[in-house]
Order: sequence, then C-alpha cells, then structure tokens
Amino acid sequence: MRLHLLALLAKEPAHGYELKQALEQIFGNAYPSPNIGQIYVTLGRLEKDGLIRSVDVEQSNRPNKKVYYCTAEGREALDEWADSPTEGPRVRDEFFMKLVLAPLTGIADRTVLINRQRRHYLAIMRDLVELAQQTDQDNRPAQLLIEGAMLHLQADLDWLERCQEDLA
Amino acid sequence: MSHSTTVAEIRWVRADLRARRAQGLLTVLAVAGIVTALITAATLLEDGTNPWRGLFVRGNGAHVWIHTKDAPDPAALRSLDGVTDVAGPYRSAPATLAQGGKKTPVALQEMAAVLPAVGRPLVREGRWLDPGSPDGVVVERSFARATGLRPGGAFTVIGLNGATHSLNVVGLAESGDQGFYPEWAPGLAWTLEGTLDQVEPALGRSESVTGLRLADPDDTSLIVQRTITKLAGQVQRVSTWREVQASMELDNRLLGVLLGLFGVAGLVAAALAIANATGGRVLSQQRDIATLKSLGFTRRQVVRMLLAEHGTLGLAGIALGVLCGRLITVYALAETVVVPLSSAPLLAIAFGTVLVVLVAIWLPAWRGGRTPPIPAAPVAPPRGHLSRMARLALLVRLPPALVLGARDAFTRRLPALLTTFGLAIPMMMITIGLGCWATLDDFERHPEQVGQAAALTVRPGSLTSGVANTALADPDVVAAYPGTEADALVPGQTRTVRTRAIGTITDPYPFTVVEGRSYHERGEAVAGQGLLDLLNVRIGDRTRLTIGGTPLIVRIVGRVLEPEQDGEVLSVPLDNLAPKDALPPRFYGLVLRQGADPAAVRARLQAQSLEVSQVVNPADRLSVIRVIIIALVGVLALLGLGNLLTASALGLRDHALDLAVLKAMGLTPRQVMATLVTGTGLLAVIGVGAGAVAGALVSSGLIDLQGAASGIGAGIGRSPAPATLLLAVLTVVGAALLVALIPARRAARARIPVTPR
Amino acid sequence: MTTATGPSALHTVNLVKIYQTGGLPVHAVRGIDLLVEPGEFVAIMGPSGSGKSTLVHMLGGLDTRTSGEIWVDGKRADTLNESAWAILRRQKIGFVFQFFNLVDNMTVADNVELPALLGGAPAKHARERRQYLLGELGLTDKADAAPAQLSGGEQQRVALARALANQPQVLLADEPTGNLDSRNTRDVLRLIGEVHRQGQTIVMVTHDARVAGLADRVVTLLDGQIVDDGLMAPVRRRPKSGAGDVVELHG
Repeated sequence: MRLHLLALLAKEPAHGYELKQALEQIFGNAYPSPNIGQIYVTLGRLEKDGLIRSVDVEQSNRPNKKVYYCTAEGREALDEWADSPTEGPRVRDEFFMKLVLAPLTGIADRTVLINRQRRHYLAIMRDLVELAQQTDQDNRPAQLLIEGAMLHLQADLDWLERCQEDLA
Repeated sequence: MSHSTTVAEIRWVRADLRARRAQGLLTVLAVAGIVTALITAATLLEDGTNPWRGLFVRGNGAHVWIHTKDAPDPAALRSLDGVTDVAGPYRSAPATLAQGGKKTPVALQEMAAVLPAVGRPLVREGRWLDPGSPDGVVVERSFARATGLRPGGAFTVIGLNGATHSLNVVGLAESGDQGFYPEWAPGLAWTLEGTLDQVEPALGRSESVTGLRLADPDDTSLIVQRTITKLAGQVQRVSTWREVQASMELDNRLLGVLLGLFGVAGLVAAALAIANATGGRVLSQQRDIATLKSLGFTRRQVVRMLLAEHGTLGLAGIALGVLCGRLITVYALAETVVVPLSSAPLLAIAFGTVLVVLVAIWLPAWRGGRTPPIPAAPVAPPRGHLSRMARLALLVRLPPALVLGARDAFTRRLPALLTTFGLAIPMMMITIGLGCWATLDDFERHPEQVGQAAALTVRPGSLTSGVANTALADPDVVAAYPGTEADALVPGQTRTVRTRAIGTITDPYPFTVVEGRSYHERGEAVAGQGLLDLLNVRIGDRTRLTIGGTPLIVRIVGRVLEPEQDGEVLSVPLDNLAPKDALPPRFYGLVLRQGADPAAVRARLQAQSLEVSQVVNPADRLSVIRVIIIALVGVLALLGLGNLLTASALGLRDHALDLAVLKAMGLTPRQVMATLVTGTGLLAVIGVGAGAVAGALVSSGLIDLQGAASGIGAGIGRSPAPATLLLAVLTVVGAALLVALIPARRAARARIPVTPR
Repeated sequence: MTTATGPSALHTVNLVKIYQTGGLPVHAVRGIDLLVEPGEFVAIMGPSGSGKSTLVHMLGGLDTRTSGEIWVDGKRADTLNESAWAILRRQKIGFVFQFFNLVDNMTVADNVELPALLGGAPAKHARERRQYLLGELGLTDKADAAPAQLSGGEQQRVALARALANQPQVLLADEPTGNLDSRNTRDVLRLIGEVHRQGQTIVMVTHDARVAGLADRVVTLLDGQIVDDGLMAPVRRRPKSGAGDVVELHG
C-alpha cells in the first residue's frame, strides 16, 4: 500500500483521512478498504524513509491536521515503480499440488477434488457477479478490477476443465 | 389453426418477399412470359385455323341463313323465340362471271350501301358499295382470290337471260356467313339492289336470303325447325354457322400438336426455373427456417408458408401473363387476330400453369419443411471434396482457377443438377424449335419432298381436251399427271375416304414414298398415314373399297407423305379405276421446274383460260409457328437467365468465405473471377451442350411423331442444320458466361469479410 | 421461488443420444437424469463436445432422443412427433441461441411478435407484449429496425425478448453470450438475472463462468454424462455497505 499512497500524494498533498476517502472513491468496494490506522502507520514509514514529508496545518475549532506531500526521493521511487513490470499470476498452484498428490495417497478422489474446487470457484464467481451488480456502473476502475478477477477465475475454471478431461 | 397463427405466417412471407424484390420480380416475369407466349400462340392458332370465329364476331354474323323463294316477313322471324335479330331478307340471284373465255357461276346478293347491323361483310380491300357508282360490286375475298379479281378490275356478268353487264369490282370483303370458295360454291358478290334488278329483272329466278341471329348458338337446330314450320314450305335450304365453321376450319392438328409440345416444354422449363429459384432461396434460408421451427412453426406450416410465398409469385406471374396475353391480342395483334382466345383454352393454360407452378414449388417447399430445427450453427457450405471432374482438371494440369471452379461447380449436387437441367431443357426446346423451323423451310423450298410434287392443279373445266398439252407447253411445267378424285366407301366405316387416282402405271405420279414403294401395277395403291390409321391396315395389306358402286380391291404397297385430308387419302394409278370413273380426268397435277414460281406459272396458264389452282402448302398454315418459335426462344432465354442468376448467386453465397481465403492465398482478382465464372460456366456449358444434343436427337423424331399423329406421316422431320445449331450453342454459352461474369467481377473486386455470418 | 407442489418444469430419465456419423455411432449424451424445478436456474457447463448443446436441443425437441424420457411441465414429451413438439415449443419453451438467429428479413418488432402470434395471441396482445418486452430490455426505439442494424448485444436482447414473448414455462439458452463481447455479455446477463428473479425457469448451456455464476445450480457434463450437479452455495452475505474484497476473494 506504500506506493499506492505515495502515488496519491504525488498527485496532491493530503492528510490521512483524505487518502482513505480517495482510495474508496477510486476503487469502490472492489478494493479492500484500508482502516485509518493502517494508513497512518504506512504514512509514518514513508516519512521515515524520506519519501514524504508532513506539515501541520492549523484549523479553527479543531486540532491541527498533518498534511503529507511527496519528496523528490518519493517521486524517484514512484518512477521506479511505474517503470518496472508487475508480476503475473502465480505459477505454482496449490490446488494442482493437491490434485496430483492427494490421490496418490488415497485420501481423495480427483473428480471429487475438481468438482469441489469448481464449486468453490463458481461461488467466488457468483460473489463477483453480485459485487459487480452492486458496484456503480460508471466506476470504471472498480468494474475493470472486478472483470479482471472474473477473467482470472474463468481461466482457472477452464484450466480445471482441462485437468478433468486429462487427469480425472 | 387460429387466426393469429396465420397472421404470423403472412408476416414472414411478406417480410421475405420484401427482402428480395428483384429475384421475385424475375420469377414473376418468367412465369408471365411463358403464359403470355402460350396465350398468344394459342390465340394465333385458334384464329389461324378457325377464321370463322373472328369473322363471325366482327361481322356480328347471323347463325342461320334461310333461303326462300319469296321474301319472308322479318318481323315474324324476329318474333321467334331465341332469335335476337334478323338480317335481310336480301334478294340473291345466280349469274355467270365471264373472264375471257372462262365462265364461273356466281351468286349476286343485294346489300344496302349502309352496312347492316347483323351479317355485316368485312371490307378488306377497296371500299363498300356506294349509290354513286351503281355498277360497283364487292366480291367475297376467297372467291376473288380464286378468280383473280382485284378492286378496280372488271366484273362482267351474264344474267340468266343472256344479257351481259359490265360491272366493276370496288372492293373485296370477307364474311363469316358462308364458307370459303371453292369449298363453298358458288362464289359470292354483293351489289346494290338496283344493280341486281338490272342483271336479273325476273324475280322468279332469284331467291330470298334471310339471316337469323340467335341468343344461344346451341339452339340452332331447334330454331331451324321452328323457322321451317313457321315459313311452311317456303324454305328451299338452310345453312347454319356450324357448316360454315366446318368448311372454314383448317387442319390444325399438326399445328396443335406442335404448339402443345412447345407449351409443355415451356411449362417444363418454367417449372425448372421456378423449382430452381425456389430451391435456391430455400437453401439460403435454411437458417431462418430452422429458427422459425425452433420458435414452434411446424413442418406443415413451413411448407405452407413457402408454398404461399413462392406460389404468390407464380400466381402473380400467371395473372400478369393472362393480362399481357390479352393485351397483346387486343393491341399488338389487332390486325391479325380478331377476337381474343376463347375461354376453354385460356382456362386450360391458366390452370395448367397454376398446376405446374404449384408442383414445381412443392418439392423445394417440402425440402424446406424438413429442415432440422437447430439453427445454432451458421449454415456452412458443404466442404468441397475434389469432385471427379476437378480431379480430372488437375490431372490435365489446368490453371488453378479452372480446377477450383470445377470443384465449386459440383459442390452442391442437387442445385448443380437443377442448374444443368434448367439450362438443358430450354436449350433442348430451342433446338427443337430450330428443327421445326428447318422442317418448315423444307416444306416451303422442297414441297415435292413432303408429298406435294405438283404445285398446281389444272381443272379442265369447259375445255375437255388438250389441257395437258396446253399446260405442258409452258416452259416451267415439267410434267402433267392426269388425275381424278372420288369418295370411296370403306366397309365397316360410316364415312367415305378420299380416293385419288393420279398418274398411271407407266407414268406414275412422283409420290414421296417413305415406306414401302410406289405402285407398279394395277391393284396396287399407296396411302397416307391417316388412312392407314383410319382403316387400321399396314403396308402389304389388301383393302376393299367401293367407288361409284364399283368394288375395288387394292393392296397398299407404300406409305406416302400426304398433306391433304389429314392424310386420309388413298392414291391409286388411274388405270385402277373403271373407265367411267377415270375418264376424262378431272384435273391434271402439274409438276414445275425446280425453282419456278407457281404463282407466275398459274397466272400464265390462267391467261390461256385454264382453271388453275395452287396447291395449299401446309407450311403456309404453319407460318404462325414461326412467330411462336421466336416468342418461345425469347421466353426460354429468360428462363435460362433466371436459372443462371440463381446458380451464380448460390455459388457466390457458398464460396464467399472460400474466396477470402483464396485471396489471402494469393489468387489475383482475375483468377478469383475465373474461378467463379468457371463454376457457373461449366454447368452452363454442360447443360447447353446436353440440351443441344438431346434436342438434335429428338427434334426430327418428335416432329415425325406429330406428323404421324396429324396424318401426314413420319418422314417430314428435319434436324436443324449443324451450322445453325453450333451458332445457337455458342451464342447461348457466350451469353451464359457473360451473365456469370457480372456478379463474379463484382465479387472478385469486393472486399470479403472473413467473419462468420 | 421453488415450489415443491406443482410438477417439475423439466425432467429427463436416462436420456441418450447416439449420432450415426459415417456408420460409426457417436454417443453424444449417455444417460442423463435431470430434474429442473419451476423457477430454477440451471447452468449446464462442460468442455466442448461434452453433449451440452445436444442435451438442450433434445429438451426443446429440436433434436430427437435415441432413448430415455423427457417430461415437460409434467407431461411426457419424448414420444411427441415433430409437429406436436413444435406446438409444445410455442406454448411452453423459449429458445435463445448463440448466434441470435433473428429472422433477418423481419423488423425487430415482428421478430418479437412472431412467437406470440404463433401461440395464438391476438395481434393487439402480441403488440402490447412486444412493446412491454422491448421497453423492459431498453430496445423500444429499435422496434422498426432490421436485425442487421443492431449490435450483437442488442440482437441477443431481441432474441431474449422473442424467447420470452409467450411467457414460456422454460427458457432454454444455448451459449447466449458465446458470441458477445464482455460489455454486451454483462448487459445480457443482467437481463437474464432479472428474468430469473421474476420466477422464470432457465436452463442454460454456457461456457462462461460469469453466466454460470448467476445460476442456482450448475450441472457439469463430461463425455455426455453428468459429472457434477450441485446447488450453488447461497451468496455469501456481506453488509451491503461494506466493501467487497476482490483481491482477497481471488486469493
């Protein structure tokens, strides 16, 4: 989350609660909403590393708030983040290990394993469908995120099908 | 079957018709063309072979003519039940027409200068009688033809009192009230009342002629009886429209059979065209039909919708054709055709085409109904395995476009077959048409080969001797055969047959013998097909006849082409007859030098006071068939075009995807075009070739068959000349390739999407 | 939604389909027992060639069964002839296909009215039903358009409207989203979901897990047999306001 917050701060200086709101607004309920404590802990770390700085701003009738802004070092770190590719989905799949190894020991049947796993995936898919329906249609980032998850899940199901055809 | 289900069907039919207007229009036009051609041909046939009908209708003729001594009271006749109107009474007097030394009996009949409402002669040349020129006569046309009278010519009559009167011919007219001369004698001429009084002042030597127009022609005999009773003993003789009609009627059997053949062939071609168009449409609609079935349309409903849709087109075509046929006879053929086709043949044509159209549609509709209801997969064209033809093309190292085209041509077997047949049948008919044409040409150019060796007949008339010598003196007359004709009674027959004694054993008449041989000795005879059929005898059989009370036993030794009397003529040498029957000869048949003009010879001989008549060539009567042949070739071409368009559209649709692939593989647009043209063109070439061969093979046989049926006898049929046939084949194939080229060109240039439909 | 009382919407007993292709028998469906209750939404999944399409085609009478029984709305249907099946389809079954299969020559309105008219509804009712359906599916302004003028998604919505025109007991769908992009898939899915919530029984062949995700029950076929048939776990309830956790869900 470090770099996510840093990116938001590179856009404009903000205090902790504003950052939480921005994340929720951008990603909707498709993204795990961070709690405010977690955000402040992260901000503290970033400040310690010299990627951001903070200034106190006085407010009338309220305690001062801390507004964070991005430093030159922080911008360098962001550049590096943007320039490097992001890891793809995992290659070592836990279920596959289970599918290959468990029948060997006689503790499970492959068809049963696959069916159970499929139902699990479908249940997740159902949640995603539900989630997509609840999410604001105009919130493109959120919808795209959900769709990405669905497509991953579809790939997993297709792969499951292949496993069933070839192994079971 | 609820109402709204029908609404659903109608909606689909309407939508589908709307979506393919051009194709539908072509179908309608093809059917309309066939029907129009059939109606026009039938009208021409009816009119050409039954001129009475036209004359009678146009002249508002009288059904019955009563000849009485004195003029009856027209009011009394008009009051008879069933009589609607009365013509006359007219005074009629016999007289003699003098032309040079030749004298011909003629009936002079008075007529007013104003044409009457009933029994009106139809002026064909010159003008009608005029009080301003009291010495004018109007001559009945067939009589004028036989006697060589023309408007403006002299008309010298000798009355019964011996006085000669010089009158002038002012006009020629036709009439449906009496038959043609010389079958109906004496000849007729109309004069004004005053003129007639001059020629025949004595009322006692003339008779009175009164025409009755009836409400119902079928009541004729009844009314004749009533009239005779009414006029109590005054009636001398009566002629009815039936006799007139019968005397005018020509032998139309040959024409009728030819026309029937063309009609049937036209219908078959139309049926194929419609079946092809419908089949192609149904094939391209399979997905829609499957969808409809998945929605709950039953097989029966699908069949019904297809029948309704394509049947509507067919019926529209028939309706349009009937309308066009009528319009053509009323406007375009107003001069030749007097009255439109009578209702029986019209109904026969209309219902015949309806039946043919429905049958032609039914098969593809039935196939459409059997479409499985699973529309899920887009209908893919059957993947072309290389047909044998294509493999052959590969073997002989043809260019790739040709190989691919050859493959395409046979991918879908049934449509390929339909296309081939759809072109072969019209081509076969065209070939048969050309064969008919060639036969007619032969009739005209070489009448001696079709049983008409003698082009002219001379009747001695008043001259008793020296006729033959006079005739032979003409440089164009090669031979003169003495002959006589008698009606012979045949045992077991209720009617007589014409027996013609012509030529002698030493100098036989040059018959066109097609089977057996000509007569060589007494007691032998040759006969036309009609007679053989009538007496149910074969060559070699003996037959017994009675001529003028004298029994005659002859052996039929040969079959000749016999264009007269439906072929029901027995020909014997003159030696066969008893001298009282044989001498003097009633006529001489004159054989002319090859290439001589019969009309010119006839004119020369007539100038020498001989009564010469020209033998009617059957081809003259059949000339109407040339019009029909041309019209049918046009319609057949239209049908072929329809077939080709269907085929190339189907080919394009099938191969649109292939084409994209082929282009991607590097075929140039020219090669793509060549592929498409080959696909359709190959079928066209096969169809046209097969049609031409089949037509050439069957045409003379078919014409002979019709000849046999009409009594003339087999042996008249000719195949079209090879050069003509080759030209026709090349023209049709060329046209077919051109037609295939247009859509192919467009397809080759178009960018073809590679997405599934 | 599911009523225990009335007859089942669809029921098959040991359903078998053997195709004869080039003399070799191909077992497309081998002994399927399936019971679909009214109001149920069953997704049929499985790899291609597993017999899914053949199964729904047989359920709708588009294809004949080799052996076994098919019961539609409590009545035996496998013994019906082609015409009787057609009439049964008009009254009780709606079909949606992968390639939409709208009648190209007819307008959208006519396409939707066709089954209602076929089912015997007066033209006025058919029109009203069409107006209602097109309105529900957001296609009112496309009523007079030709199908070819519509996007794939719109065409499939029209096909859905057509399938629902007669308020069929069962909606059979064969890969309805198989030919659509994801945006149009989402639209069509939403509509199918809504139709299902209104009590429509649906049997849908699909390869798309998102579509299957809507179903109450997923039947998995392999080689013409059912290898899995399970009710989907009800949606895990989370507070409406609470944010979902896609990333976590996905592990």
